[in-house]
Amino acid sequence: MTDAHGPGAAVTTVPALLVTHADLSAALLRAATAVYGPIAGVDVLSNEGLSREGLEQAIEAHVGAWRHGGLVLTDFWGGSCHVCGVSAARKGHGEIVIVTGINLPLLLDYLHNRDHYGVMELAERLAQKGQASIRVQRSDG
Amino acid sequence: MTWILHRVDDRLIHGQVVVAWGGRLHPDRIYVVDDATAASAWERDLLASAAPDSEVHVLGIADMAAGYAAEAATPGAAFLLVRTLAAADQLVTAGAPVPRFQLGGLHYAPGKTRVNEYLYLDDADRAHARALLARGVRLEAQDVPAARPLPLESLDPELARR
Repeated sequence: MTDAHGPGAAVTTVPALLVTHADLSAALLRAATAVYGPIAGVDVLSNEGLSREGLEQAIEAHVGAWRHGGLVLTDFWGGSCHVCGVSAARKGHGEIVIVTGINLPLLLDYLHNRDHYGVMELAERLAQKGQASIRVQRSDG
Repeated sequence: MTWILHRVDDRLIHGQVVVAWGGRLHPDRIYVVDDATAASAWERDLLASAAPDSEVHVLGIADMAAGYAAEAATPGAAFLLVRTLAAADQLVTAGAPVPRFQLGGLHYAPGKTRVNEYLYLDDADRAHARALLARGVRLEAQDVPAARPLPLESLDPELARR
């Protein structure tokens, strides 16, 4: 997918794969759909029941189809989704970047901006947005 | 304090190890004992980065067997991770006196049969399990701290058959 953004600028839509424990990635995508509307071009994967090799192969099957890199969004640093994502990313094409700590605001920001940034710039933006979305507010005014 | 966890887990360092067991037991060091991983500088660096709260060492089986007693005498607490029952058996055979292995995750692959939701074994796995049990090594299924450890023999009737 390509689109034009500004004079002479052709930007490729950055694809994404959500890899998480249990059903979190599917639930996040379902929640994002409720806020954003129908979503295309985002794949989900659970690590459930998979060995390290099995998970790596499953991630490779997705990222291997990307021609110009993309984002692997995972739940937490040090988990199998993160570790296997890093291993599988080496075997893909283009720049494949892992972002850990996915949350709904991060996913929504990805959807709004996946046509406007390159892979690394988008990854850095999402890391910032995801962290900034965690805020504390007292309930006593 | 020294060795506080010996675990068989085909994911090696991952969430249950780093977050669940690491959060409960706070190891100073994590030893990943895997010949293939030890042979790759890239894999060693990846696993070291995955557990930022502990010092990660990646060793081959022979090197770990040779260094096992020295670690036992070192201040602080340590985890030991192997990927397979074969590696656990080889480590003990090579001289590491491991008293007990926690079986934390051996996932499905063709030819393996289900023991519980996170343990699947084939004939070779069971042969290594029998060898370990014959040496007096306890094998206990337990994925996370909140689960009750259960002897593998109590979960796997095939283990008793030859």
